[in-house]
Amino acid sequence: MPTAIAFQSVTKQYRNGKVALNSVSWSVGAGSRVCLLGPNGAGKSTSIRLLEGALEPTVGSVELLGVPVGERGYDEARLRTGIVPQGPGMYPDLTAAEYLQLAADLYEVSIEGAIQTFGLRDYLHLRMAELSGGFQRRVVLAAALTAEPEVLLLDEPTVGLDPKASHDVHQYLSAVMQGRTCLLCTHNLAEAEALCDQVIILQEGRVIVQGRLEELRRGARPRLRLAARQGPEALRATLRQAGPVHVDGTAVLVEVADPTTEAPMLLRRLLDAGLDVYECTPVQATLEDVFLEAVQ
Amino acid sequence: MTAFRPLHRSVRLLFRKEVRQFLRSRQAVLTGLLLPALLMVVAPGLQLVSANSSRARTSITPVIPGLNGITEVRGIFLYFTFPLFLVLAGLMTPSLAAVYTVISERERRSIELLVALPVSVTDIVTAKLAANLAVAAVTLAPLFAIDAAVILLLTTAGPLFVLAAFLVLLSALTASIGVSLLLALVARDFRTANNLNGAFVLPTMIVTGLCVTLVPGLWRFLALAVLLLAMGGAASWIALRWLTFERYLS
Repeated sequence: MPTAIAFQSVTKQYRNGKVALNSVSWSVGAGSRVCLLGPNGAGKSTSIRLLEGALEPTVGSVELLGVPVGERGYDEARLRTGIVPQGPGMYPDLTAAEYLQLAADLYEVSIEGAIQTFGLRDYLHLRMAELSGGFQRRVVLAAALTAEPEVLLLDEPTVGLDPKASHDVHQYLSAVMQGRTCLLCTHNLAEAEALCDQVIILQEGRVIVQGRLEELRRGARPRLRLAARQGPEALRATLRQAGPVHVDGTAVLVEVADPTTEAPMLLRRLLDAGLDVYECTPVQATLEDVFLEAVQ
Repeated sequence: MTAFRPLHRSVRLLFRKEVRQFLRSRQAVLTGLLLPALLMVVAPGLQLVSANSSRARTSITPVIPGLNGITEVRGIFLYFTFPLFLVLAGLMTPSLAAVYTVISERERRSIELLVALPVSVTDIVTAKLAANLAVAAVTLAPLFAIDAAVILLLTTAGPLFVLAAFLVLLSALTASIGVSLLLALVARDFRTANNLNGAFVLPTMIVTGLCVTLVPGLWRFLALAVLLLAMGGAASWIALRWLTFERYLS
């Protein structure tokens, strides 16, 4: 699979001395949908800034569609890339049509397709700041997708939106991300899980986890979800020696090596201790579990 | 990334966007005319009228070296006061607008909408400065034409004086690009930019005052033009060499 995005030993140190990325190397294959996760300040937005050519790496090389950023051919690669920025401000003195036309002129394409795809026809005459949050995001998506790009860079595309608008944007993203190389920066783990098949987790400017979501889930330590009439604290007290126990609402989650062999054993111990267990379910690790395990 | 490239298509498209945004607010357009009109027409006009009054026509003997040979109050206006107004108008008209467009774009985060498009930060800043310069030039040109007509009709100054004054105005406009760029990159917010812009006026006026006071005849206009261009060049060099556009996005 050819590489669409590549970071090779990239360090980015800002002029104030802050190191945003520290010798990171990662790549995204053409057609992959990769999620870039990490706590605030992990280097996610810096990565997008480097790819869009707004920043230069201090050390190392960043490549977009096989071309080093800023080198000969990068402008052409940039025309094949759409970018959805993080929480952009809206122009109070520019209409949606004028901004989209600017995007179309810069990409040297027609804007008609994107207007239709994102249902913007009736809102084109409105100034961008007058649009609702959901429609503002649609305009930004339309601008990014106007040239039918091969690569789509999404920096927190749903941040600040209400649940309905978020849902709408997810619907659009699910459709437009198919068949494209996508890099999604987000804090929203459910969004990442729904839209991506690979994950890169950054922490303090370093890559700490990289892989396919399925493999990472399988690699995470399995857990059992247990609930008893006496409540989670009674379960925790009894299971203290079985391994790490986390209270999850009215139940507890217990990390086990193999649910098939350990579940009957734990159940027997709980019943012998007089606890009325009414739930015992193996739980598949979520992206949240993978993320928390990695960053803690 | 830190060097200006020749104007290309993306700069032209961004330039059009900037001009469109500028013209969209009628109130901003009208209030934007106030300062240049005051500096270029109202204040010099009042001074000229008072210099032409019968009481002001008495002979004077200046003791400052650069004003030797000037025997009328009108001469003081032409060779001392008028260049000061030209420099102020040429420097401040575009830089006030540029500071607004560059800083406000960053403050309201709409800069993200532009950086996401296939353009460089250099293109964005170049288009902004060029648009402000163009708008300032279009605003100041007719005002200067009024000045030129009045000077040619009401004073003894000839076309060479008008040409020299025009050179000063052009130099001030050109210098304003560098100054605007420096202010926009140094200032972290709109208020700081305005404060710096205000603080910049005093030293400029002192240097201009010294120049028009010490250099004789029409040479003062040439000296002033050279000084302004050097100042604009130095500001641009500092902005591009030490500040870079990375600061604009951080």
